[in-house]
Amino acid sequence: MVKLGIMSFAHMHAASYADCISKLEGAILTGIADDNPARGRKMARKFRTKFFNSYKALLDEDIDGVIITSENSRHRKLVELAASCKRHILCEKPLATSIKDAQEMIDICRANGVKLQTAFPCRFATPAIRARAIINEGRLGKVLAINGTNHGKMPGGWFIDKKKSGGGAVMDHTVHVVDLMRWFIKQEVVSVYAEIDTRFYNIKADDCGILTMEFGDGTFATLDPSWSRPSKSFPAWGDVTMEIIGTEGVLDLDIFNQKFSLFSEKEGKESWVNWGDNMDMGLMEDFVNMIEEEREPSITGEDGLKSTEVALAAYLSAKRKESVRLPLE
Amino acid sequence: MVKKVGIIGCGTMGGFHAGFYRQIPDCQLAGVYDIAEEKRNKFAEEFKIKPFSSYDEMLKEDIDIIDICLPTSLHKEYVLKAAEKKKNIFCEKPIARNLEDGKMMVESCKNAKVKFMVGHVLRYFHEYAKAKEVIDSRTLGNIGVVRAMRGGAFPHAWQEWYADYQISGGLVLDMIIHDFDFLRWCFGDVKRVYAKGMINRGYKFIDYALVTLRFKSGVIAHVEGTWAHPPGGFRTKLEVAGSKGLLNFDSSDSLPIHMEVKDTGGGRGVAVPESPIKESPYLLELKHFVNCVINNKEPDITGKDALKALEISLAALESIETGRPVVLN
Repeated sequence: MVKLGIMSFAHMHAASYADCISKLEGAILTGIADDNPARGRKMARKFRTKFFNSYKALLDEDIDGVIITSENSRHRKLVELAASCKRHILCEKPLATSIKDAQEMIDICRANGVKLQTAFPCRFATPAIRARAIINEGRLGKVLAINGTNHGKMPGGWFIDKKKSGGGAVMDHTVHVVDLMRWFIKQEVVSVYAEIDTRFYNIKADDCGILTMEFGDGTFATLDPSWSRPSKSFPAWGDVTMEIIGTEGVLDLDIFNQKFSLFSEKEGKESWVNWGDNMDMGLMEDFVNMIEEEREPSITGEDGLKSTEVALAAYLSAKRKESVRLPLE
Repeated sequence: MVKKVGIIGCGTMGGFHAGFYRQIPDCQLAGVYDIAEEKRNKFAEEFKIKPFSSYDEMLKEDIDIIDICLPTSLHKEYVLKAAEKKKNIFCEKPIARNLEDGKMMVESCKNAKVKFMVGHVLRYFHEYAKAKEVIDSRTLGNIGVVRAMRGGAFPHAWQEWYADYQISGGLVLDMIIHDFDFLRWCFGDVKRVYAKGMINRGYKFIDYALVTLRFKSGVIAHVEGTWAHPPGGFRTKLEVAGSKGLLNFDSSDSLPIHMEVKDTGGGRGVAVPESPIKESPYLLELKHFVNCVINNKEPDITGKDALKALEISLAALESIETGRPVVLN
């Protein structure tokens, strides 16, 4: 039985992860620690587990690994703490808010002999796995270009406090699709150009943008990470889509398009009900499996760093109004 | 008084236009010219009009409107000659292959005091015109990010002129100039352009481009153009996201008729989707021009509009070639 702890419920994904763990046969959620005790206690009750007053107290328990779902800028501190206690780590994306932080997180985990995995659940979305297989089989020929979106609603809270999040929509929504692109075509981003702005909300963080990237093999791609779905009226939280253009064919991937429409008088609007596989479950299974088998993580700290670097380069590009070469100096 | 129209060029658009002129009551098809004798004779027979063996001969006739449906790089020569003979001119888009030619054409028509309009027909497409109405009504609030898509399979025409970059400028100049004109119509002038595409990459009969436009108003637009799809349907999409709402459409979803008929050979059924509408956008466009000629009015789409759209396309091509953003003044 793999014993896990969750450090912080600041990121809403934590609740989904906890729910998945509760459904997994080979894993148990030993406890929760949160610097917001009210939130932590509530979640501990909800998921029938123990609340610990400090992160250290949770880490002192007999656990194998932790899931870190704090505010982005606090990932590093919590990773350092967990690594020093020799616990394997699944860290929420984006891995960090600077390259330096990300690198030091990777280094400290290595030094302490613990595994660091970045939480990119989209890699466990069944349609994404299928799309990758089609590309790998060569059915699209050589991939030439990708047109991606990761739209969402403006999440508010600490997501729009740059000190805690490291940035707005671009920081929040660049990394998922960039990670999928890297995973699909096995290439690294070599240049980034971005137009970024705050145009939908009266907030201090960016809420929209368009990134253009070029990969090592010349494949080019754009990504729209905007919080452009109207919060009250849009039928879902957002989307993850990729249109992949190859020499022999094209493929449209819309990860959450296994859904039906629901029109409810109570809601006063249409909503989309998803009936596809739960990708968070795949991520949890993979993390538990990694601990059990003592294997390397399927999504590494370096993977987390690489996609974070693209988001950081996008901000730099928007500021300079020029394209930016990667890796960043 | 009935206006007489001469068609230049017997390709797809020439035939298209001829068909629509026949539906305009104040109009009469007077003749056709194409350098290919066989093609123009066949065309003349089909539309029961006179085939001219030379352009000069046609221009001597009592013809009010010359409609030019030729490859882009030939527009200038034919427009200048027609203007000299005081003919009103409808010219297919894009206005020209380069800005100098375009400016000379606009200037010549102005000096000759003839009506001149370039076929930026998207403004007459019902869904686009309606979208502009919604945008102008402020229902969407402040516009943040716009996404436009256009394309299908690679077009094969006379001597494969679409594949000759020097003549056609590829899809960036020939096709998504439609979206550039539409977006400029909605959001004003463009400040900055960044683009990636297939130029100089050595692929034949594959073109694809992803273009980011930053408008002076701050609006960010993403335009996708594809001639990389396998043979099949032509598709357009538009999404406009604002602070108060979101508008989107996909031509492949707006099909009130979807018929499937059994193949009499016993093979697969053939799907025939349709979107029937009383007045085709092309008919509306040509009707408008004929009305301008009859009533001595300036066409909705001015020479300046055509030059501005061309400027955006050329900036996108420059960005593709240099890898750098291009600033428009």
